[in-house]
Amino acid sequence: MITATGWTKRYGGTVAVDDLTFQVKPGIITGFLGPNGAGKTTTMRLILGLDKATEGTVTVNEHAYRDKRAPMQEIGALIDPAAVHGGRSAYHHLLWQAQAGGLPRHRVDEVLELAGLADVAGKKVGGFSLGMQQRLGIASALLGDPPVLLFDEPVNGLDPEGIQWVRALVRRFASEGRTVLLSSHLMTEMEQTADHVLVIGRGRLVADLPMEEMTRQSAQSHVKVVSPRADELVSHLEARGALVSNGTPNELTVTGLDTSVIGAIAFAHGIPLNELSTHRASLEAAFMELTRDSVEYRAQRDLAA
Amino acid sequence: MAIGLSIGFSALIALITGLTFDAMSDGLRAEFDPILTTLGGWIFGMVLVITLAVTSVTSEYSSRLVRTTFILNPNRNRVFAAKAIVIALLGVAISAIVIPGMFLISQPIYHFYGLQTASVTDHDAARYLIIAPLLEGLNHALIPFAFAWLLRSTASAITASIGFSVLPWMITPMVPLWVQENVLRYLPDNAKDCLLGQLGPGAPTYLGDTAAIVVMAVWIVGALTAAVFVLNRRDV
Ligand SMILES: Nc1ncnc2c1ncn2[C@@H]1O[C@H](COP(=O)(O)OP(=O)(O)O)[C@@H](O)[C@H]1O
Ligand SMILES: [Mg+2]
Repeated sequence: MITATGWTKRYGGTVAVDDLTFQVKPGIITGFLGPNGAGKTTTMRLILGLDKATEGTVTVNEHAYRDKRAPMQEIGALIDPAAVHGGRSAYHHLLWQAQAGGLPRHRVDEVLELAGLADVAGKKVGGFSLGMQQRLGIASALLGDPPVLLFDEPVNGLDPEGIQWVRALVRRFASEGRTVLLSSHLMTEMEQTADHVLVIGRGRLVADLPMEEMTRQSAQSHVKVVSPRADELVSHLEARGALVSNGTPNELTVTGLDTSVIGAIAFAHGIPLNELSTHRASLEAAFMELTRDSVEYRAQRDLAA
Repeated sequence: MAIGLSIGFSALIALITGLTFDAMSDGLRAEFDPILTTLGGWIFGMVLVITLAVTSVTSEYSSRLVRTTFILNPNRNRVFAAKAIVIALLGVAISAIVIPGMFLISQPIYHFYGLQTASVTDHDAARYLIIAPLLEGLNHALIPFAFAWLLRSTASAITASIGFSVLPWMITPMVPLWVQENVLRYLPDNAKDCLLGQLGPGAPTYLGDTAAIVVMAVWIVGALTAAVFVLNRRDV
């Protein structure tokens, strides 16, 4: 459990984080979303005691990070995976950390295996690709087998297989009852991963809600239909209560019916379909809308001040 | 490398001293001391100690591994203390190789040219060979170490450290007497030179043993305290 109360961080004149209050609960994956420069990394640094909050407090399992005696066994953090000693091997990079945290040597082999890096354990980390660095950073975070995981932009630079791996990993950790906080600037990345979302825009918290609500709040998703006899299909779909708009001659945008129903209608009338797909761009749009509001809100506040 | 350079340079100084001794002025001849003159090559050892002390801190800032360090050990005082102990020991260890090395290599050369020599069994030489590594080691390890935490950059911390050690000594003859007596006198390198006997009671910057020990201790403890104070307050 991570609890932030009235949290503010200013760097000189810039307000990076503005009066944040939130909780990150165990057993679920919490997505921390916001456009670039919103304050996600700053928040992670504050949780880890690297930067000092200008105001407010944050605790991880009821204690400030700075007061922890064995932090690796409590929190695993991925925050700056490019921060490595390029001349060291992956094994020695992890061994250094394990020793600093008083952890047994065998944990190094275990996390290398878990991160899919066992084969490159002896290679110098300076030559690692972005994706491998990311895996190494995740391996570091897992060394202490901690109940709380903080990953800042974990899928940056990962290939689709790597992304799947991170998703499966965090899902497993959440199901084991751990607390998982993942940040991202892309809604689409979170859509299939997070159970709960915290949305931050310009340092302010603009949404704190379960993922389903985020989906429900967003405009209805639509189905794209491409058919050579699209015109004919329109009346049949409208008869079933759908809202249909015509894009290009053969293409329809349908809301109110899902793909299986549309497919059945087309089949019943012998109309061939070239494409039938669900589009969820609306969730991304909802996210943009949320963060845009926060920008406007700030602008108004600044004018008032 | 720097160790070899230091010892080699001292040998060279001994050689030149021996070769030119007859041609020297009486004043220069009077300055010859079979113990203290061997310290001539120390500049390389000093630069080595300063560089190691500074980079032990600044390399972590440049690779940003300092964040990892403080994520693993959030207690900054403990990280600072552990590093300071290692660096102090390293500084003394390097000095304890270089300074006796310079002493030992110079003696046969002095002997060859018929100059006065010293032996490790002499009381003065033995005292010097124990005190010098301790003072040079601690002074050039811990003050630059503190500068490194404050400045966080290799180039500026090394420049500041070398400047701080060498500049006062270089400008001494050029500044008014009251600056020598009231400012330069209370700098750590001057105190160390007094303790090593490189400055006699006649010098304007001379400090007695007790005063010199206090001055050095205040500088070292003060620099470390300032560094740890700032470290606890700044963002990493
Ligand atoms: N050390 C710093 N000094 C000054 N400004 C900073 C510093 N770190 C972050 N900022 C500013 O704080 C804001 C939030 O940055 P950040 O937390 O990195 O955003 P995100 O990770 O969401 O992209 C940005 O405007 C950034 O420029
Ligand atoms: Mg960021």
